[in-house]
Amino acid sequence: MADADLRTRIAGAGPIVAMPQPSVPPADLQRSLNPLVHGTTVIAVKYDGGVLNVGDRRATANYSVMYDRAEKVLPIDDYTLLAISGSYARAMEVVRYLRHSFRYFERSQLQPMSLDGKLAELAKVVAASLPAALQGIGGFIPVLSAYDRVSHEGRIFFYDAMGARFESTDYAAAGSGSYQIRGVFNYIVKTRGPFHEMSRSEALREALLMLDIAADLDAATGGWSKVLPLAKTISAEGIEDVAEDELAAVTAEISALER
Amino acid sequence: MAFTPFDFNEAIAQRRDHALEGLRHGSPVVGLSLDAGLVLLTVRRTQRKIYEIYDRLIYSAIGNQSDIEAVRLGAVDLAAREGFERSPDDVTAQRLVGFSLSPALKEVFRDQWRAPSVIRAIFGELGPKPEDDVFFVLNYDGEFSQHAGAAAIAGTHEAEERMLNHLRKFVDRLGATPPGVDSDALLTSALAEALRAWAVGLIALREQPDREEDEAAEDPALVVAALKEELATGRVEAGILDRATKREAKFAMVAPDVLARATDLAMNAEGA
Repeated sequence: MADADLRTRIAGAGPIVAMPQPSVPPADLQRSLNPLVHGTTVIAVKYDGGVLNVGDRRATANYSVMYDRAEKVLPIDDYTLLAISGSYARAMEVVRYLRHSFRYFERSQLQPMSLDGKLAELAKVVAASLPAALQGIGGFIPVLSAYDRVSHEGRIFFYDAMGARFESTDYAAAGSGSYQIRGVFNYIVKTRGPFHEMSRSEALREALLMLDIAADLDAATGGWSKVLPLAKTISAEGIEDVAEDELAAVTAEISALER
Repeated sequence: MAFTPFDFNEAIAQRRDHALEGLRHGSPVVGLSLDAGLVLLTVRRTQRKIYEIYDRLIYSAIGNQSDIEAVRLGAVDLAAREGFERSPDDVTAQRLVGFSLSPALKEVFRDQWRAPSVIRAIFGELGPKPEDDVFFVLNYDGEFSQHAGAAAIAGTHEAEERMLNHLRKFVDRLGATPPGVDSDALLTSALAEALRAWAVGLIALREQPDREEDEAAEDPALVVAALKEELATGRVEAGILDRATKREAKFAMVAPDVLARATDLAMNAEGA
C-alpha cells in the first residue's frame, strides 16, 4: 500500500480525470443553437483480420458545410477505435475524456482497463449527453470498434442515445446518413457473405461503396470529390490508417461505376 | 521544546543515514537516450521497477517500495490531471519534478514527526529528437538534478559516478556510429552496454567505501562474473519510450527476446 499522504501532497486532492457534464441551455436559446448539431455517416465493418472504420469528412451546421476535413474515426488507445456522430463538440470532448481515463486507469492500476470496463465508461458518457440530446443539441452516438485481446478478434459495439450498448456480429453505422444505407448492409451480407469473412480490401470496397450511397442520399454526408474519406483498421497490430493512395484508387473505381 | 542548531544537524543527519541505509541495497537503474527512444534498464527481483508516468514520461526508483509507489502514483495523478485539463504537451519532467515532487519530498524529509521517504528516483522525458531527451534524478530530500544523454541511480554516489563514466564512454562511441546502421542491432548493443553499466554500479556498491578500485570495477571479467551471479536470481527489465512508433502508446516494456540477446552480448563480447 502506497503512502496515501505523500501521493496527495504531490498531486493534491480532487478528481484526476473528470468528464465535464454538458449543460442544457434555456429553451429560448435553443433555436439559435440548433446549428450545433452535425450530420454525418460513419461505418464499421468486420473483416478477416479485425475491424475497418470509414467516415466522411463533412461537418455541417444546419444547411451550412462548416468544415470538409473533419475526422470522425478516432483512436482511443491501441485496441479501441471510436467512430462518432452527432454533436462534434461533445464527441471530441468525450474522445479526449476516454483517452485520458483509459490511460490513467492503465498507468495507475498497472493493468489495462478491460473491454467491458471501457464499454461501460462509454455508456455512461453517452447517457450523460441525453438531456442535451433531447433538447436537440449536444447529443452524440458512437460506434466502438475494439480488438479483443482475450478472444483475439475484432468486435463492434453501438449505442442508442440513452447509453444502451449492443454488440453487432458484423457491422454498424451511425449518423444522419446511416438510416439510408441500413438495407444495403443486409443486401451485401445476403449476396456476398458476411463481412467478417471478407479480406481487408474487399471490406474496404464495400464500406466505401456504402459511404458513397450515403453521400448521395444524405445532404449532411460529404462525398469524396474534393477530400478523400477517412479509413482506419484495428487489428492485433493496433490501429492503422488506410493509405491515401489505396483510398484514392478504390474511390476512383467506385466513382467510375456510374459513368 | 526548543531546538538548538546541534539538535537540528543531528536530526537531519540521522534522517539522512536512515535513507542512505535503505538505498544501499537497491538495484541500480540505468537511463540511456538513443535514436530509437529513451530507455531505462535494471535487474529486478520480485517487484516490477520500471513504469510509465505519462505519454512521454518514464520512471524508476530505488528505496522503500511504499515510497516508490507513492511518488509514482502522485506523478501519474498529477500528469493525468494536467494533461487532461490543459494539454499533454504541457506535461514535462521539469514541471513535475521541480514544482511538485521535490517540494513534497522536502516537506516530508524535514518533518520531525514522520519517517523520511527512502527513495532515489529517475525520470526520463522523451523529446522529438535524442538531443531533446532529458533525465531528472530526484533524491529523498527533494534535491534533484538534470542530465542529458545518460543517467543512473544507485545506492551510493561513487556507484552512480562509475556507472555514468561507463555510460559516457559508450555514448561517445555511439555518437561516432555512421548513420544507416541497423537500429535493432544498435538498440540491442545499447541495452547490453546499459546492463554492463548496471554491473559496474553493483560492483561499486559491494566494495568497501575506502578502497580505491575505480579501474577494477571496469574490468570486463569482473563485470561478467557479477552479471552471471546476479542473473541467476534476478531478471533484466527494461522499458522504452519509443520515438518512432506509430502506436498510440509510446511506452513499452522491452520484449524478452531482445533482452535475452542483449544479455548474451553483455556477457560474451569481451571489452566491447
